[in-house]
Amino acid sequence: MSCDHVQQQISALIDRRIADGERENVRAHIESCSACQAQWESALSLRSALRGMAQTEVPASLAAKLRVLASHERVRQLSRVSLPARLRNFTAYAGLCFDNLMRPVALPFAGGVLSALLAFGLLVPTLSFPHNFVGGPTFFVEPAGSTVDLAGQTSEKINILAPRIQPVNSPYTGYTNVVDLTIDENGKVVDWTVVSGRLTEELNNLIVLSRFIPATTFGLPTSGKIRAVQGPIIVGPSYSFTVRS
Amino acid sequence: MATSILDLGSERAAESAEADDLGLVEALREGSERAYEELLDRFQQPAYALALRLLNDQSEASDVVQEVFLKVFRSIGNFRGQSSLKTWIYRITVNEAHNARRWFFRHRRQEVDLDTDPEDTRDWKENIADGGRSPFDVAFSGEQHVMIERALERINPIFREAVVLRDITDLSYEEIAEILSVSLGTVKSRILRGRDALREELQGSLRARPALRLVPKTAE
Repeated sequence: MSCDHVQQQISALIDRRIADGERENVRAHIESCSACQAQWESALSLRSALRGMAQTEVPASLAAKLRVLASHERVRQLSRVSLPARLRNFTAYAGLCFDNLMRPVALPFAGGVLSALLAFGLLVPTLSFPHNFVGGPTFFVEPAGSTVDLAGQTSEKINILAPRIQPVNSPYTGYTNVVDLTIDENGKVVDWTVVSGRLTEELNNLIVLSRFIPATTFGLPTSGKIRAVQGPIIVGPSYSFTVRS
Repeated sequence: MATSILDLGSERAAESAEADDLGLVEALREGSERAYEELLDRFQQPAYALALRLLNDQSEASDVVQEVFLKVFRSIGNFRGQSSLKTWIYRITVNEAHNARRWFFRHRRQEVDLDTDPEDTRDWKENIADGGRSPFDVAFSGEQHVMIERALERINPIFREAVVLRDITDLSYEEIAEILSVSLGTVKSRILRGRDALREELQGSLRARPALRLVPKTAE
């Protein structure tokens, strides 16, 4: 038996992976050959040293991380054990996803809505809307045939007809006399200018005796100007328009 | 006769271990807290030792062991008991270590570690000497370990895996064949060549060391 062959078998001999007959021969050769004996002892020593390296302590930090990992995975496993647990888990997961999705949007959304409300609240009093011809007798006039108090003097009373001062964009056409009226905060005309046509006596009376709903700023009546026309005699509901301040 | 009694005993032990494994796996599937603790108690140390010897880097080994147990916990439902739990976990460890080594060579090969001495990076608890051993033994053993670690690092990873699984983790040839998915003959060959390569590396490092020479001097 050659030394090369024996040295090839030393590894198998250490691990007891060699046939019985072969083992006896190899052992006999090792005992009789100093070179193979040294190789055998070297292999045994190396194996012993390697065995000693198995006693490696797990770092405390790793052990702690593994325990945390095990705890998390256990909870995860428990959530999958039964159908109700799975449903509960799915609901919680969906809720979490929804929260995560909406949370970044919630603050800008709320801020946007509040800003819009604030801006609208500030702008509304200054907004002027065209005219409201639908319902509501908000255009204040004295009824036909009634008497009115002229400039607070109760002694002088005048009979007037139905309202004939109308907004310039009223549905009635064919008017010729157009005036610009200055209305004070009490709804009375304090000044006027004839834009076209002429100032008839009837129109003059109408201007003097008509009363308007004054314009408001932040809820308080204020003076303003309107353009009006002398319209036909109207029987029926009156019309209103807002004075632009 | 004695051999047959021994065989019978080992078979019974194997059957008992298999039943234990299946019981543990079942308890893990049910989410038993004790089962999780038992799994860690049984396998965290050998898995860490195996990963450390395959990678020779403590932080890498720690990362690998965490990945291993994450996979174990998440895949426990797929464990069918075709191999033992130990073999299964070691196989995952070897594969993860292989992946980590491949990643290391791709990404971190160019990095230079300022703190290259592994002794300095160890926890203080690991450096406390064993009271039962003399300082010489500790020093000799520590030096020997460092030499073997460096020699292991230098040999072919394929052979290193086989040697580590056989000599450090103390697995049988059959278990190693199962873990590495190779034949018994291949395992035998890899162990033989790995040991030879390791011995050569160790002899080379011993030859490269300067000999300690004591020169007596007389007082002048």
